[in-house]
Amino acid sequence: MLDTPLGYVVATAFLLASGFFFGKNLFLVGQADMRAYFSVLPLLLLFFIPAMSMRMLADEQREGTFELLATMPVRMLDIVFGKFAAVMLQILVLLALTLVYPLSLSLLGHIDAGQIAVSYLAAALLAATYVSVSLYASSLSSHAIVSYVLGFGMLLGLFLLAQAAATLPPAMQDWIGMLSPVQHYGNMLRGVMALEDVVFLLAMSGGFMALTWFQLERRRWL
Amino acid sequence: MIKAEGLTRFYGENAAVKDLSFHVRRGEVMGLLGPNGAGKSTTMKMLTCFLPPSSGRASIDGVGLDDALAVRSRVGYLPENAPSYADLDVHTHLRFVGRMHAIPKVTLEDRILEMAGVCSLHTVLHRRIDELSKGYRQRVGLAASMLHDPECLILDEPTTGLDPNQIVEIRHLVRRLAEKKTVLLSSHVLPEVEAACDRMMIIDGGALRAIGTSRELARQGHGGAILHARLTTPGEAEAALKQMHEQFSGIEVEQYEEDGVVQVILRHPDPDVELAEAMFRAAVASGAVLLELRPETARLEDVFRRITRGDA
Repeated sequence: MLDTPLGYVVATAFLLASGFFFGKNLFLVGQADMRAYFSVLPLLLLFFIPAMSMRMLADEQREGTFELLATMPVRMLDIVFGKFAAVMLQILVLLALTLVYPLSLSLLGHIDAGQIAVSYLAAALLAATYVSVSLYASSLSSHAIVSYVLGFGMLLGLFLLAQAAATLPPAMQDWIGMLSPVQHYGNMLRGVMALEDVVFLLAMSGGFMALTWFQLERRRWL
Repeated sequence: MIKAEGLTRFYGENAAVKDLSFHVRRGEVMGLLGPNGAGKSTTMKMLTCFLPPSSGRASIDGVGLDDALAVRSRVGYLPENAPSYADLDVHTHLRFVGRMHAIPKVTLEDRILEMAGVCSLHTVLHRRIDELSKGYRQRVGLAASMLHDPECLILDEPTTGLDPNQIVEIRHLVRRLAEKKTVLLSSHVLPEVEAACDRMMIIDGGALRAIGTSRELARQGHGGAILHARLTTPGEAEAALKQMHEQFSGIEVEQYEEDGVVQVILRHPDPDVELAEAMFRAAVASGAVLLELRPETARLEDVFRRITRGDA
């Protein structure tokens, strides 16, 4: 996708938005760190990842190419992994392009390289969960737009879960918040790489990939 | 090569294919005929392991459908409407298909060029697929299905949407391929199947109604040989017809006279009897003059219509 006109549009939009949120903090607030950028990143990805994934399975279904793909000597699970890897690779390229921010910061002064590295890892893991949720949404419909709305809706729900948790009684806060990938991402931004956060994000991406796989298989049996 | 036993597939409550059994021999071109919605595509989707059968078994080159990957690598499949990745150019699309079939990179380029040659795609190799005409897209689909040199080709309506010239082209292509491969192709256009296939089967309502060569089907459907003749001089003609009656038991003769010319329609239940030759000899022997002698073979179209209307 990154070598198509649409790919350039998406990449440009993402980098513009990234630059805006990074630069705003740097020049207006005068703070030379990445924290503000990373805290807005879940929201950015919320818009971009469903858009990058929506056609992945929906269009295959609509154009009939899914039949072509599914009658090649590959397993259904390979197809799911392939699609996941394709979107993920694009996200990683986009994230890699934002590495110029910490690099330029390091020229200005001291940065906490460890924390930034963990934040990037957290961003990649969060992106992975978003990609699997969006892929699942893409498998549910044969219309890209419907897939986008479904994916965006599910991700928004998960995003709001973390916000809503704060208004709940403390006993429930922990439980509800634990279900939100954004909460685990937030934990990692502190620079602490806790096993449970990493495992949660990986498990969630695996879970939605399994759902996608299940959905593709289910369609064959109906 | 392709063997199906009791293949059945339900969509919800509806049986799209019911208890379908057949055998396609190695090196044979088999036509799968039926009206729209007869279950042709569903049958092909089961044979390529896209849809699992509700019950029944099938094998391709001795490999059962449960070994989906092995089946798919032995089969070249052209789905209905020849779907391909429309935003890729032809070459990139073929390269992708080739890589998915694990064709080694060193030989892939040669394979692509070879298939482009077979399907006359050279001039469009670097054009985007969505810019191509239906005929070219169909050929891209065919090239993609043959890229990994499968033993067996399953082509779902390879000629729909093509103009008459393209249809002839595809038919020649299939004929050429059939020298080395086993082909199962579906269509609802009869003359096409008749021209391209060694044998054909007619399915309707998901069930097999007839299978055989076009001649065998013609016999099953209603059969019989029909001969139209015009003879002069009623007296001699009468003698000739009498001779025909004696020679062929079960022959039916319909005749009427107009301005001293006798018009005759002879019918015989066996399509293989040679009525024309006998009629000629009878006319010569009795001194009648033949003005016209025109055999009419039972047309497959009539057979098809009769069978698929359910009054076979």
